[in-house]
Amino acid sequence: MSHETWQEQLRRGTLDLAILLTVSAGPRYGLAIIQHLEEFTDLVVTEGTIYPILGRLTREGLLEAKWVEGEAPHPRKYYKLTRAGAKRLADMKAEWRSFVAKIERLTDAAEQES
Amino acid sequence: MILTDTGESRVNGYLFVLERSLKTFLPPDVVRHAVREIDSHLRERIASADASPDERAALEKILAELGPPLRVAQAYSAERTIDEAIATGRFVAIARALFHLAVSTVSGFFVGLGLLTGYMIGVAFLILAVLKPIFPANVGLHTVAGWPVSFGATFPAPAEPVRGGYSIIPLCITLGLVALVVTHRCARKFLAWWRLRRLS
Repeated sequence: MSHETWQEQLRRGTLDLAILLTVSAGPRYGLAIIQHLEEFTDLVVTEGTIYPILGRLTREGLLEAKWVEGEAPHPRKYYKLTRAGAKRLADMKAEWRSFVAKIERLTDAAEQES
Repeated sequence: MILTDTGESRVNGYLFVLERSLKTFLPPDVVRHAVREIDSHLRERIASADASPDERAALEKILAELGPPLRVAQAYSAERTIDEAIATGRFVAIARALFHLAVSTVSGFFVGLGLLTGYMIGVAFLILAVLKPIFPANVGLHTVAGWPVSFGATFPAPAEPVRGGYSIIPLCITLGLVALVVTHRCARKFLAWWRLRRLS
């Protein structure tokens, strides 16, 4: 596996978690989610591919979507975390922290041995 | 920035291509919502962009960041069709997902070809079971000089009488259903594997 492929898999694997974290503070519309992700990460390579993921998370019941008109010259679709989404996010965060801690320990051990 | 007529045409052209691409794989209501959302995204980006010194360059940058319409459409259909196929297991949903993978990936093309063959074999056995009572002299095990050479339906009827009699009807029904069920399960497993691979 090339380094680029590994990076791409890492990016895809963490994108769901990143999106759920982005809307956990409160409802955000599509572009605001993308801008938030761009501010903190480099997970967004192609903006247009974020929307299908938002759609899938909505179908899975983790997000709730609602069109809001009148706030801007054009309608905005806001996404917010559902109860199921909040639970999934809590599970994912715990899993992520545990995973990162294990890899850190492994990295430290490898560096000490070398 | 406020778009000129030329800029407006460019945005409408992008949305038109996106809509046409989405319509290949997705139901109309999903297409409508997807196009509306991408339209909203573009309007938001355009409103906050600076048109100077060149509106065209600014607009092309926005569209490039969004991604080519075909790529966006493929991302939508991949998320939608494969999830629906795995969740429901419906034949139409699975066929649509397989078609999507067959036209967008090399492995999907070959696996789709294999699965199509499996479905065709299943359907062929069921057709033989239906044809046997209608054309009893044409459907069955064909022999030449006493040796079996093929199994199926031949028109006109072969010189040597077909073997197997009416007992091939339950046999064909069983084989047909087994082929269809096994192929369908393989299709669902392949889609589940592909989705896992995509997410991993």
